Amino acid sequence: MTALDTAAATAAPVLLKVEHLCMRFGGLLAVNDVSFTAKAGQITAVIGPNGAGKTTVFNCITGFYRPSAGRLSFRGDDGTVHLLERLPGYRIAGIGVARTFQNIRLFPRMSVLENLMVAQHRPLMRASAFSVAGLLGLPSYRKAEREGVELARHWLERTGLVDVADWEAGNLPYGAQRRLEIARAMCTRPQLLCLDEPAAGLNPRESAELADLLRSIRDGEGIGVLLIEHDMSVVMTISDHVVVLDYGRKIAEGSPEAVRSDAAVIKAYLGEDEDDPLPPEVAADLGVRVDGEGA
Amino acid sequence: MTAATLNAGASRSVLPAALKEAAIAAVVALALTLPFVGLRTVDSPQGLTVVTRFGEVAIAVALVFIGRLGLVLVREGYAAAVLGASIAAAVVFWLAPFPTPPLRVIALGGAGVIAIRAALKLRDMRGGAAGQQARDNRADRFAAKVQELTRWLGPLVVLFAVALPFMPFAGRSVIDIGILLLTYIMLGWGLNIIVGYAGLLDLGYVAFYAVGAYSYALLAQYFGWSFWACLPLAGVLAAMAGLMLGFPVLRLRGDYFAIVTLGFGEIIRIVLLNWYDFTGGPNGISGIPRPDFFGIADFTRNPAEGKVAFHEMFGLEFDPLQRIIFLYYLILVLALAVNFFTLRIRKLPIGRAWEALREDEIACTALGIDRTRIKLAAFSISAMWGGFAGAFFATRQGFISPESFTFLESAIILAIVVLGGMGSQVGVVVATLIVIGLPEAFRELSEYRMLAFGMGMVLIMVWRPSGLLAHREPTVLLHGGRDARRKRAAAEARA
Repeated sequence: MTALDTAAATAAPVLLKVEHLCMRFGGLLAVNDVSFTAKAGQITAVIGPNGAGKTTVFNCITGFYRPSAGRLSFRGDDGTVHLLERLPGYRIAGIGVARTFQNIRLFPRMSVLENLMVAQHRPLMRASAFSVAGLLGLPSYRKAEREGVELARHWLERTGLVDVADWEAGNLPYGAQRRLEIARAMCTRPQLLCLDEPAAGLNPRESAELADLLRSIRDGEGIGVLLIEHDMSVVMTISDHVVVLDYGRKIAEGSPEAVRSDAAVIKAYLGEDEDDPLPPEVAADLGVRVDGEGA
Repeated sequence: MTAATLNAGASRSVLPAALKEAAIAAVVALALTLPFVGLRTVDSPQGLTVVTRFGEVAIAVALVFIGRLGLVLVREGYAAAVLGASIAAAVVFWLAPFPTPPLRVIALGGAGVIAIRAALKLRDMRGGAAGQQARDNRADRFAAKVQELTRWLGPLVVLFAVALPFMPFAGRSVIDIGILLLTYIMLGWGLNIIVGYAGLLDLGYVAFYAVGAYSYALLAQYFGWSFWACLPLAGVLAAMAGLMLGFPVLRLRGDYFAIVTLGFGEIIRIVLLNWYDFTGGPNGISGIPRPDFFGIADFTRNPAEGKVAFHEMFGLEFDPLQRIIFLYYLILVLALAVNFFTLRIRKLPIGRAWEALREDEIACTALGIDRTRIKLAAFSISAMWGGFAGAFFATRQGFISPESFTFLESAIILAIVVLGGMGSQVGVVVATLIVIGLPEAFRELSEYRMLAFGMGMVLIMVWRPSGLLAHREPTVLLHGGRDARRKRAAAEARA
């Protein structure tokens, strides 16, 4: 059990433990007996070819799907263990799991700052005493709102969006929308940040900035990051731990270096026919030398 | 004819195609007008005879031909020529003899429409490729300016509304229209919470209006409770009705939700209609007590035993108008309460959650927002204001029956919200003036005003589908202040 070995090796506490997760859609077994862990203070990447079941795993963790079988245990910041598969979707965000979406899901007609305020809905709602204190304009609520704006400002600064804070979110350029979605997820004060292909559609410079941001979130906040990504340059540079899925199964797991040279992974990504020459950019990303024989 | 001759030498390739298209339209017109216009049965002493009217048919077909030709030429870029020709044609139609007046109206209207199309096309050609996007932006800037203006104009309008009953021109009818307008403004603002902010299309809002009205009427009839005790109860009961409907319904989305609310509106009306023993069925409830002066004084000449008359209390002459004026102020305060409440709650977490739900429900769930609870809150709060308005309606009319709560009412209130621009408080006021005020002002045009109203709605929906004054100001700003707002608008327009 490599997962347990690495858990023992590094002292970081386990945040999320996925055990024997299965997800079935009719006759299709989209996720088949997948187990892995995500730790606090680490970036865990889930990679795999298209249709491998990465987003399905994500949707199970964040409560959008109810798994057919398996257990998802999450340790909250107060130490209690929650079983995510039993919670309704909106409660999962409340206990400290935040997510972003593969196709950006902002509130396009609301301002950037408002997007971040909506993310703090739960604490602000409590502070407004279910709107009574808010309607009356009591100082306790005003203070909470000021603090909310300050938290939002903090994340706008971290993501370089302060100048556009009052813009409609839908008017932002694509890269800024991606960053805003991460800032919005962080405003829920999560323990585990789940990112579904955050580098999709970004240019190389934006990808590098994203990698820096994710590293700073990992190191600065000490939270766990769970990442689905196609962009191997991002995955290989920032991940502490990589899980590889193919056809719904976990085929490899380990450090980026170990996964990169794993024969099963190379086969999954490049196909079984070893006569095909590798596309040079894929080979470079995986760190494989093109010598006509594949691996 | 005129359009054709003006453009005859302009282009060899466009004209034949345009003529062909116009000819096809003319043939269709001929096929339609020949039986409908050309043949007419007349009841003469010799029995039923057929009278032919081929002259009218010929004119109609010619008009269709010219009109179609003009439209095609506008499309092909001969806007200036067509504009001139259509104005000339309008003058000719004005002077030329027509066998029947409707033909002249149709001809003039057609020339006007073509002239407007040509003028719009000309403007678009001058301003480069100004598409729908640019027009939307312009309309949004206009709405933003109006909203900025209302910050100053709003209090003035409220002052005017307060002073209205004491204006020299304010007779009974003016105040009555004022009450009617304010009732619809209040209903529009109430519905705006659920349709405009939470983005849930409620086609049965009148149900809550009915619940409020019947709550007061029945409580007064069976228990003799006063208006002031029943007003809050009517709101609470309507809110409860909203909760009861909301629980099963809010799982539905979009069109399905709209259909169920439509059904709920009808269910309430039909229950009221058929529960004869309790609600009086189609006979309604009459003799609903009029409101008194906060339980202190009565608005009657000779008050009942143990009551004081309003005019005696303030040392005034008795005037039946006093009660009407009191009702006017009552609905003014109620409507302003809805407005104040809405403007306030929009800036609270729950208001932001409503708007966020409208934008993206899935993202809301991912942020820990319980959709059902937030929607239920919107639904019941919206229903509560509808209930207040209903209680007011009952006490003003003194008589209610299920006939007052048909789907048409829901449709009118919804039209006000959509026309004004969803989520726009000023928009509701402007739209109420258009939807309720104009038909009221042009009552002498009788049924034609509904035709004009329908055409106006169609035109506005074509021209500005998001509503007249739809513009959204952020509820919270990081860089506050006027200059920052200007700069942001300019930067956003550039992006």
